[in-house]
Amino acid sequence: MTPPLTSLGRRALLAAPLLPVIAMPARAQISPEAASAFIHSTGEELVAVLNSRDPLEERRARVADILRRAVDIEGTGRFVLGRWWRVASAEEQAEYLRLFEQTLIRNLAARFGEFQGVRFSVGRSQARSEDDVLVTTEVQPADGAAVILDWRVGLVDGRPQIVDLVAEGTSLRLTQRSEYSSVIQRGGGRVAALLDAMRNLLARGG
Amino acid sequence: MAEGRVVRALLLEHATVALSAAAVQPEAPVLVRFPHFLRGLGAVALLLAFSACATPPPVTEPEARAEFEATNDRLEPLNRAIFTANEAADTLLIRPAAEFYRLVLPEPLRDGVRNVLSNLRGTNILLHDLLQGEGERAARTAERLIINTTLGLGGIFDVAADHFDRPGHDEDFGQTLAVWGTQEGFYLVLPLLGPSNARDALGFAVDTALNPWTWIGQGPVVEGLRYGRTAATLLDARDRAIEPLDRVYETSLDPYATLRSAYRQRREAAIRNQDSPGEGR
Repeated sequence: MTPPLTSLGRRALLAAPLLPVIAMPARAQISPEAASAFIHSTGEELVAVLNSRDPLEERRARVADILRRAVDIEGTGRFVLGRWWRVASAEEQAEYLRLFEQTLIRNLAARFGEFQGVRFSVGRSQARSEDDVLVTTEVQPADGAAVILDWRVGLVDGRPQIVDLVAEGTSLRLTQRSEYSSVIQRGGGRVAALLDAMRNLLARGG
Repeated sequence: MAEGRVVRALLLEHATVALSAAAVQPEAPVLVRFPHFLRGLGAVALLLAFSACATPPPVTEPEARAEFEATNDRLEPLNRAIFTANEAADTLLIRPAAEFYRLVLPEPLRDGVRNVLSNLRGTNILLHDLLQGEGERAARTAERLIINTTLGLGGIFDVAADHFDRPGHDEDFGQTLAVWGTQEGFYLVLPLLGPSNARDALGFAVDTALNPWTWIGQGPVVEGLRYGRTAATLLDARDRAIEPLDRVYETSLDPYATLRSAYRQRREAAIRNQDSPGEGR
């Protein structure tokens, strides 16, 4: 009597409550307090490494480790690639994420010298959208004027993660998205052109 | 003093480029007040500009089209050419000049120069605070002008920020136009001055005209001071940009695109008065 369709329908119905969990990115709301605490502890960790007297390679490895834990590298990487993510092949996507992570680490490592003796304090934090919070920090280099940096923090897989850095109104992920898209367009709409450029930059060292 | 003349000529050129830009912006009533000959020059610049226009992607690619609109860079080929020329001028002349400036003047003196320049802009900032209906900020700017011109010895010391808790901010006609509802117009790279857009380039020209120090006084000494001020403004701006620009060139795969995006975002923050206090000190 019961056609197979119905049983399938019932099974689909049973599975339905699970669907949003699978389909939606694993993001939930994060409280401003939790975001502040996360930025504070991550910042303390980073500053400790930056100001340590360990050899450069060791510091670099430890900073890379902190970044991998604290930054939503995959989410941010996909955001930055924007509409080209779907154009890229699976291999290109994987290679892109690998290069994106290395680029992030290289760009921070290139500035280790500037960060010697740096101090920072966490200011106010405010919910900016449904799923992220903007935490303001004041970063005081050993010499020179203090800089205000805003960290956008979201909840990824239940853990707080950095999704963007905003300096003087300039969002790093927006600027980078514009930059990457320009490289791809000028490379004839090929994601491979971006991957080449990223490899070249990494080969330049830093 | 040939450089001064070059700078002046460039300013005029900016004005015409800006006007040509404004000519296609229906929301730029300021245009009608400008003399006809400038508009004539503007038309020439416009022709030149559009001979190097970027082609928008077809409507069949909505995402590409949306990005093209968002990037707002119809003159990209021309802008990239000016950008490359600017890079050359910077490598050969401007950056070495700024480095020399940094070498010969110790930091406290450079701060003094910066403070004097900022104080000279004070009347303009006050005017724009008022035009934007920002009473509190206008009062702050007026207080700063009075305190720094007197106690700060003609603006050399920023006494208002250091001892009276009155930090400065910057304003310009481009921001005022934005507050009045003028769209930014298309992105522009100005010769020597770099990133801008139709609205801000026009604003820059108007600000130069509005500043009393552009007009007050005559004679060789005053002329000399005027050129000196222009030179100091360029040196101060480039000196401040040495590290940030180096960083862009170290990390960016396309510095042109990075600076275009950063300029846009920074201007938006400045218009909302969310730029960090102390800017324009």
